Amino acid sequence: MSEFLLTVNDLKIHFPIFRGLFLRKTGSVYAVDGVTFAIRPGETLGLVGESGCGKTTVGRGILRLYRPTSGQVVFKNRDISILPRKEFRQVRRNLQMIFQDPFESLNSRHTVGNILEEPFLIHRIGSARERRERVRELLARVGIQQQAVEQFPHEFSGGQRQRIGIARAIALNPELVVCDEPVSALDVSIQSQILNLLLELQQEMNLTYLFIAHDLAVVKHLSDHTAVMYLGKIVEYADADALYERPLHPYTRALISAIPIPDPMTRGKRIILSGEIPSPIHPPPGCRFHTRCPIAIERCYHEEPMLEAMTGAKDQGGHLAACHRAGEYTD
Amino acid sequence: MPINPLTLKKIRRFSSIKRGFYSFLILSSMILISFFAEILVSNRAIVVNFNGKFYFPTYGQIITGKTFGLDYEYETNYRELAREFKQGKGGNWVLLPPVPYNPYENDLRDNEYPPFPPSLKDRHYLGTDTVGRDILSRLVYGFRIAILFSLGLLAANYTIGISIGCAMGFVGGKFDLFFQRIIEIWSNVPFLYVVIIISSIVVPSFMMLILIMAFFEWIGMTWIMRTMTYKEKAREYVLAARAMGASDFRIIFRHIIPNAVSVIVTFAPFSVSGGIVALTSLDYLGFGLPPPTPSWGELLQQGWANMDAYWIVGSVIFAMTLTLITVTFIGEAVREAFDPRFHTTYE
Repeated sequence: MSEFLLTVNDLKIHFPIFRGLFLRKTGSVYAVDGVTFAIRPGETLGLVGESGCGKTTVGRGILRLYRPTSGQVVFKNRDISILPRKEFRQVRRNLQMIFQDPFESLNSRHTVGNILEEPFLIHRIGSARERRERVRELLARVGIQQQAVEQFPHEFSGGQRQRIGIARAIALNPELVVCDEPVSALDVSIQSQILNLLLELQQEMNLTYLFIAHDLAVVKHLSDHTAVMYLGKIVEYADADALYERPLHPYTRALISAIPIPDPMTRGKRIILSGEIPSPIHPPPGCRFHTRCPIAIERCYHEEPMLEAMTGAKDQGGHLAACHRAGEYTD
Repeated sequence: MPINPLTLKKIRRFSSIKRGFYSFLILSSMILISFFAEILVSNRAIVVNFNGKFYFPTYGQIITGKTFGLDYEYETNYRELAREFKQGKGGNWVLLPPVPYNPYENDLRDNEYPPFPPSLKDRHYLGTDTVGRDILSRLVYGFRIAILFSLGLLAANYTIGISIGCAMGFVGGKFDLFFQRIIEIWSNVPFLYVVIIISSIVVPSFMMLILIMAFFEWIGMTWIMRTMTYKEKAREYVLAARAMGASDFRIIFRHIIPNAVSVIVTFAPFSVSGGIVALTSLDYLGFGLPPPTPSWGELLQQGWANMDAYWIVGSVIFAMTLTLITVTFIGEAVREAFDPRFHTTYE
């Protein structure tokens, strides 16, 4: 048994582009292009990056909502990306997902009771009475009043709906929960409540989270390790605190400099990236970040940097970065 | 089972659109009446009291003339029986339906040729057609056949259209492409010619006519359903169901179709009126249901050929107009009530 609950190994998810009368394949969207990381049981890995970088696709690829093009997703020592459908159904119970948009992720035609009962129905668990009982417990656990059973999703606020979404995700006592930007669609005042609920649940049920977000401040609050993605690849991986204190990749530095500091006197040095994120259909050669990198050198245009442990780093090998010039920042 | 408040809202909105709501009341009472037409329009009596015993001939076996002390073994002529009882003194009586004529029966008289004009005395409220059949009776039974026909057609169209459309949207890719081309070719087959060819070879029955028409009309629903499925399939609640391990079957029947229903019901009333028009025009041309089936198209044809018998063409046109207008008003109101612009909430 390895020490990791989930190991993602060189995961690639490419979406083919079909054109023409006979739908010939004319290209691919390289949404996820070789992502590797691992999560220990009970830990939280934060996965950050701007929109379009493929972080959601990674989450969905792990749950096989998208079929991986290549690479392995090893969950409890089994490669679940190639499991036959029937066997994968069994694994599904342990892998759940919380979605970004609580208005979209609940079927508006079902009552909350039906929505929460569905996981039990799908996996044929319990009698009708037991299921109702479990639904009650779940509602109580996430702090929604019991009458909700008979109500419909649109009768609730965004925060309440997200609680219902969380209740559905934890219904089957999963081990790993992929949280796909669970608070991005919510008001700031609600965000912290939901984050605290997630933290409580993690402690109670010993959950492991893959926490996907575009907001570094949110990830900092929650995660043990943080991985930064850019254009389908992980550019930096580190202990959460280390990443904030000493970011090595220029992209991470730019992201961190964008976190607002709630103090009018301190003016952080903002690193403003120019340009748009390049198209994942034609990713740039060499280092993918070189088109926007403030410190790019000749080498970055040709040679793709590997995600390597920064030997000089204080946290001994736990800090990885994919940048030719990362070593210059180590001290 | 709680009703979705959104559905309630739609129903309330529908009933607040007066034109559509009253049309709905009129049409549904028309349908209801036509389903119990035997009580109101029939040559069988509703109740016969003969020698202290009650008979209810409307439904069930025929009661022969012998039963009522007459000298024949075939079905009792209740209109004559009523006349006889009135003259006799046995205290026997017959309660006839308001329109005591059957749609197949020729009311022939000496020294006169049909069509007979409307007459309260003969109880031919809308007169008779060119062979002496009561027009009101034929209108009522013709309506029943037409409405059953269009409902049957609707069911057939929706079943085929939804299954194929849903499969196209759900499977996508080459399967979708293949069916799109098939449908494009299919929709270019001239419908009327095919019906004419088929009905000149065999006399189409009710079911067969539905099948022939459904053969061509499922296409419309397929496009709608295909688009809806594509749209719903990509939404997060479907992904959520899939992440929980739901089967394709479950996703289609519990998630996609219920969400598509609100769109496809808005097409149903228009499909009904289309069915009525189609059947009537086929009957008018003589390629529809075989005579002597009561039918509006056949009456229209008679009326057209006998314009001086104004009551024939007048009755049919009035009945058609009323039906089509009510159906269209209902359709409009349903579309209005289901309009997503009134129900989508962005918070």
